[in-house]
Formats: sequence, structure tokens, C-alpha cells
Amino acid sequence: MGVQQGTKLPISEHLPSNVKWLYDELGASSDIVVRTFSDSSTGLDGVFFYIDSLVDQQTINQMLIGPVLAEIGANPNVKSASDWIGLLKNKALSVGRLKDLHDLNEALAQLMEGNTVIMLQGSRAAMAASTAGGEKRSVEEPSSQTVIRGPKESFTENINTNMSLLRRRIKSPKLRVVYKQIGSQTKTHVAVVYMKDIAKDGVVQEVMARLDRIDTDAILESGYIEEFIQDAAFTFFPTIYNTERPDAAAGGILEGQVAIIVDGTPFVLLAPVTFIRFLQSSEDYYQRYDIATFLRLIRYVAFFVSMLLPSLYIAITTFHQEMLPTPLLISLAAQREGVPFPAIIEALVMEITFEVLREAGVRMPRVIGPAISIVGALVLGQAAVQAGLVSAAMVIVVSFTAIANFVIPAINMASAARLIRFIMMILGATLGLFGIMSGLMVLLIHMSSLRSFGVAYTAPFSPFIWPNWKDVLVRLPHWAMKKRPIAVSSMSNLTRQGSGQMPEKPKKLGHERDETRESDE
Amino acid sequence: MEKISQLQLAALIVMFQIGSSPLFLLGASAGTDAWMAVLVAMTAGLLLLVLLTLQIRRLEPDKDLVEMFKTYFGRVIGYAFGMAYFVYFSYKSVRNIREFGDLMNLYLLPSTPLFIVIGCVLFVAGFAVWNGIEAFSRTTQIIMPIVLIIYAAFFLMIYGSGLFDIHRIEPIADKGFGKVVEAALPEVVSFPFGEMVLFLMLWKYVASKKKTFKTTIRCYVYTGLFLTLTNVVIVASLGSISQISVVPFIQIMSQVQFASFIERLDPLAASLIFSGVFIKMTAYFFGAFLVGSHLVKAKRLYLVVGVGVVLFIGALTFRSYMQHIWFGFEKNLKVHFPIFQIYIPALLLLVMLFRSRLRAGGSRQS
Repeated sequence: MGVQQGTKLPISEHLPSNVKWLYDELGASSDIVVRTFSDSSTGLDGVFFYIDSLVDQQTINQMLIGPVLAEIGANPNVKSASDWIGLLKNKALSVGRLKDLHDLNEALAQLMEGNTVIMLQGSRAAMAASTAGGEKRSVEEPSSQTVIRGPKESFTENINTNMSLLRRRIKSPKLRVVYKQIGSQTKTHVAVVYMKDIAKDGVVQEVMARLDRIDTDAILESGYIEEFIQDAAFTFFPTIYNTERPDAAAGGILEGQVAIIVDGTPFVLLAPVTFIRFLQSSEDYYQRYDIATFLRLIRYVAFFVSMLLPSLYIAITTFHQEMLPTPLLISLAAQREGVPFPAIIEALVMEITFEVLREAGVRMPRVIGPAISIVGALVLGQAAVQAGLVSAAMVIVVSFTAIANFVIPAINMASAARLIRFIMMILGATLGLFGIMSGLMVLLIHMSSLRSFGVAYTAPFSPFIWPNWKDVLVRLPHWAMKKRPIAVSSMSNLTRQGSGQMPEKPKKLGHERDETRESDE
Repeated sequence: MEKISQLQLAALIVMFQIGSSPLFLLGASAGTDAWMAVLVAMTAGLLLLVLLTLQIRRLEPDKDLVEMFKTYFGRVIGYAFGMAYFVYFSYKSVRNIREFGDLMNLYLLPSTPLFIVIGCVLFVAGFAVWNGIEAFSRTTQIIMPIVLIIYAAFFLMIYGSGLFDIHRIEPIADKGFGKVVEAALPEVVSFPFGEMVLFLMLWKYVASKKKTFKTTIRCYVYTGLFLTLTNVVIVASLGSISQISVVPFIQIMSQVQFASFIERLDPLAASLIFSGVFIKMTAYFFGAFLVGSHLVKAKRLYLVVGVGVVLFIGALTFRSYMQHIWFGFEKNLKVHFPIFQIYIPALLLLVMLFRSRLRAGGSRQS
């Protein structure tokens, strides 16, 4: 689907007509190279056809043209065209991927991939040699999902590099890769990667079916695919996880998720996914379990803080002042004395200012960036407070909310929290705590109704799957997580490691003495 | 058809039965023995549950109440009974909504007009019903631990701030056990223990039908004990004020002072009201919706909005909170509810047993 299937147009024996057809289809573009070779004594007349900007010139020169010319020189006898094809394939063309072609549309597709088409006069068959080249970005540190301890490799835009990064991490023969091309104009390569016997068959089939259903012009980024195949169209919450890190992708694949690698972007999609997965970071598994558990709990709290803090502040100061301890109440009231606006306007102004600052920070040139953002924010905050436009408590609330938002590891979930925050602020300002509770209830009901490729989004909170709780609020040590998460992995293959691996004190304490200066007596 | 799991059923039963009852003093006419009235009522309700409601379910586990009416009473009479239960569930929901609106007005939003509060909460409930039983039961499953933890925290704070004095519940059975029983039946049985009749509409959605009996009984007993405990706490903390206070639990919470900065926690207690009443009200909304879907063929959204409008108008019909309470205690608990909770199900059970014996007898003969 998405790739136009042209009618079969067989390669004719008349070489110039083939060449002319291909040349015209490509619009006589000036980066087409038609390199002919002929030998009148043997009757050989052939052509290398390739698009200059797509190929790796070295490969063509050294692996194709060179050996072929040498072969021609070594064979002075007359041969038929099909003999020549066989000769070239078996003795001359030194590339790994070589494909036989019988159809001009296929030849055209191969050309657009950056492969070289070799045609001979008098032969109905042609060959396509894999010579795709082009500049690639080298493997660097990930720009978005950074860790302190852990691998610092990130995916790149080239699908082959990404596949190699994954394959080097999962050396199991059970790793299955299925390639597709999606997008009628861009014909983007997409790879679906999963572990056979660990990923649920139903999920894999569903992913394939949904990818096949996509009918569009261009797939420029994995986000395009995400919007086409996700479960719920109108929701703030993401139902497909994306990552730039090969180790995160490998971890997900080993738990039964299906990865979708899209050529042209380093962001790989992972499905199915539950809500808590967005609040987990790969670093949780590399650091020790105690600090990992602590940081996880902080992340959960930060999620709620980034969603609710401004609205709670507004609701309590506007409607429920009695909840605050008296000294705090007096201090807050004193701060708000000179402020002309009600709390909601103050909050909205500050929040929108911060959002503008944040967006500007993304686009600012790197050189000026830090200076303007730090000083600007400080000045804005400080000056606004001193001018009496906002109260100091509001600046604290807004900045803490913003910082809490950065704690969430997945940007799509953090964006959901950002957007929901505004709705909560308006609810808190109009209906106080009641409004906030209603909003939370609506959010909870909405989340409970979401499914991600058949897995309930709120698992393992509900449906309550007790074994999965090893990795939700806490991170149990690795030797304790014997089974893969139910509901994501296939039920027939849950055990992933042996039991009884908790580290123990060695039975025999060494009899060596600690080295001291004292003598043996 | 959507399925809910055993644990989700358990959460539904617990949250439904708890509702907002821990905040009030049930069986207030028994004075300081109100907690014993709760125990008595719980046992009576348990008998009702085991002998009546669950027996009905045992005979027809895959049908809900309206389908059973249609099967056993014939289409026309079954339809009439269906209408009656539609009215009953809607009325129950209306009572919960009204209570909710009044309490929200009292404690959280004094200046907001009542119809806005009611409209808002009906919107949320309608959203839950529209999303289906699965989403609703998952929500309940997530909320239940949070609510129970908040109650536990509150109990700790009440104890910690010295308000709790177990000797206030003495003397036990001062005026005789008869007074206790008089307070218990039929009022406390009706509310909240007899309300299990709603689950006749919901049991058919449970997966793994074998364990439903045990789960229901266990959850029922746990909630009964929990309500007894809260009654003890209320009586022990407030003494004789508990019988005249509007919402005794919130009265207690407003007096709790803990660690010199936790004080005046009424809004947090109001959040308990919110979740409890919300789930009860939405459960009844669901019941009315399910009955309605058997009576009227309409698209889901229209049916939800329709029932919601009916509930909205109904909730605003009471002229005041006092009228709502008075009507409830005087008329409903004594007369109306026993009809729907006891008499009609008993009738249904008799017809079912009669018919099944007829069928068994008939099949033996042929």
C-alpha cells in the first residue's frame, strides 16, 4: 500500500529504448549518469545507469565498472547477451546485493534507491547492484534522553545504522525484522523489529496491519506514523513510546514490545505501552535499585506537581483559604496585597510567559541562548515581582511547576502534563477544589478507557496485575525480576532468568589476614 | 461485551457500599449504640443478600435484571417492572446527586449556584457512563486504595489529636437491645445494605463467574465492618453532638489539629465525599442507563444525555437539603425502598423457582 504498482513493463532487448524510457521517466535530470561500455569484437553493448546524487561513487568505480571492464578485456570471444549476464554476475560484479530485473518499473524503483542498473543489448534481463551511498551522521550522544550512567550512543537517521545498533545489542537469532516502504512519494523504509516468542503475536499482526493501512504521500518522521497508527485520535496522552536510545529500544523489545524504525529519523517507536512506561528512564536500570526507586517516586510526584500545582495554589488561595496554616495565610495575603489581578490572571500570565520563554529557548542560536534565557527569566521574574504585577509566591509556583515538568523523561508525556495544567488552572479558578477533583476524575476515566494495541493503559494499577508491580513504584533488584511483564509479553514465555540469584555472603570467609605491620605472634 | 475482573467487582462493591456513609452517623436514633445498629443491619442485609439477591443471580448468571423480568414475567409486565426500576435507580441517583450538591455547596463552594455544581458532576458521571463499564470499574479500582488510605490517615490523625475517647460509646445497650434493632430495621438495612440490588444489573459483566459469590460476600462483610468502625470513631470522638451534626465526620475533621500545621481539613474530607458519592451516583446512573437501554433503542450518546437530563431535573426538584433528608428518612427508607430492594426481588425469586421447578418437572415427564 502506498507504493504505486505500475503495470508490468518488460525490459526489451533493444537497449537504447530501455535507456530512453528510464531517462524520460526521470525527466532528463542532469544528475543521471549513463555509462556505456561496448566491445565491437564480441558484440557486447551495455550500460551502467545510476543517479549520481544517490550512489557511492567509490563502490561503482571499484566494484562495478573496474571489474566489468577487466572482464571484458579477458574475454575476447563472441558470446550471447545472456552468457554475458551470467559472466558479469559470477565473475565481475563485486557487490553483495545483486538483484535480477525483468521489469522497467522495478528498474526505476531500484534507481531511486541509489542502486545501479546494468543492462545489456539483446538481453531481456537486467541487474541491479546495491550501491547506495550518501553522507551519514555518525553515532553521537542522544540529544534528548540523556543519562549519567549508561551507554551514550543514539540512533541516527540511517536505518541500516540503527538496525546495526539494535542487532549488536540483541544477538539472539529470534530477533525478527520486517521491512516495509511507506509513503507514495517518499517511499520511506520502515523496519518492524520484535522478538519472536516474546512479543505477542496478536500485537505484531496488529502493528503490521495498521502500517499497511497507511495511505499517504510522505512519511518524514516517525511522528507521522505514530499519528496514523495510534489507538485513540483525541487524547492528550501518548499511546506509543518513542526513544532515541538503542538500549531503551532493546530493553523494550526484550520485554515484548514491537519497535518501528523509520528511515530519516533517529526516533524509534515502541508499542504497546502503558502509562507508567513514560515515567521510567533507562537509567533506572543501570544505577542501583535504591536510588532508582527514590528517583522514580520523585518522578511520579513531579508529574502530579507539574499538572496540579498552579491550579491547587489558585484554588486554595481563592476558595479554601482555611486550609492553609495561619502564618502562611497571613504571609500570602500580605504578598498579594498590591497585586492588581486575581490569582488566575496572574497565573495565566506567568505560565504563558514561561511557555514563550521555553519555546524561544528551543530556537535561539546556541551562542546567545544561555545568556538571554537565564538573565531574561531572572529579570522578568524579579522585575515583575518588584513592579507589583505578580506576587513572589506565584513566581515560585510557576518556576517549580516548570522544573517539575522537565523531570518527566518522555517529552510527549511532559507535553500532556503541560497542556492539562492549563485546563486544571481554569477549573481551579472557577470551581475551586471541586473543579480540580472533577477534572482529575475526568482524566482518570479517560485514561482508564485507553488501550495501547490491546494493552490497558492503566495497567498494572488496573487491571491489577500484582507481578508487574516489581517495576512500577519501585525498581526491585535485577535478581528479583524473574518474569517479564504480563500483558505486554506473550503469556507463553514469561521467565527470563533463573531463580536464587540474590547475592549472598560467601560461605567461607577468607583466612587471609588483612595486611598490617604487626607480626604473627 | 465488556468484561470486568473479580478485583474490579470487589472495588466496585466496596466503593459503592461505602459511598459517603462513613461520614454520617447511621442509625442515629439508637444514640451511642448506633454502631451496634450497623452490625445488626449488616447481618440482616447479609441474609437478604445471600438468600435473595445472590440466589436470583445463581439461577440466571448471564442475564441482568430487566432481561430476567422479560423472561419470567412476560414482555409487557417485564417492561413495566423495567420502567419501575428505571425510576428507582434514577431516583436513587437523584438522591445521591442532591446530597452531593448540597454538601459541596456547604463545604467547598458556598457561593456557587446549586445547578452548576450538579450540572458539573452530572457531566463527569455521564462521561464515565459513556465510556462504558470497563473504564468505570478501572477508575474505581484505582480510586479505592487512595480513598482507603485517606480514611486510614484520617483515623490516625483523629486518634493523634486526642479527640478519640472510646468511653463515649458506653454504656453499651443502655436502653436495651430492642432499641438498637428498632433503629436498624428497616432504615439501615435499606441504606446502605439493601442497595446491593443494583448489582443484579452489573453481575453479568463479570468474567470468571465462579468466584463472584465469594467475592461479593467478602466485600460486603468488609464494608459492613468498616462502616461499624467509622460509626464507633464518630460516636467516640463527638459524643452526643454526633446525633445533631449535619455531617459528623467533617465536624470531627474540622477539629483535628495535628503537628501544629495540619488543621481545618474540611476540604480534604470533602474530597472523600466527592469520590464516595460520585461512584455511588455513577453506579446508579449506570444502572438507570442499562435499564434504559433495554427499554428504549437509542444511540449510546443520546441515551446517556437523556438519562442525564432526567437526573438533572430530578435533582433540582427538591426544595432544600432538609426536604431531601426528611423525605428520605420518613418516606423512602420505610416504605419505598423495601419494595424495590426486598419485595419485588422476592417476587421474582419465587417466580423463578416456580418456573424452574415447572421446567424440571416438565422435562422429567417428557
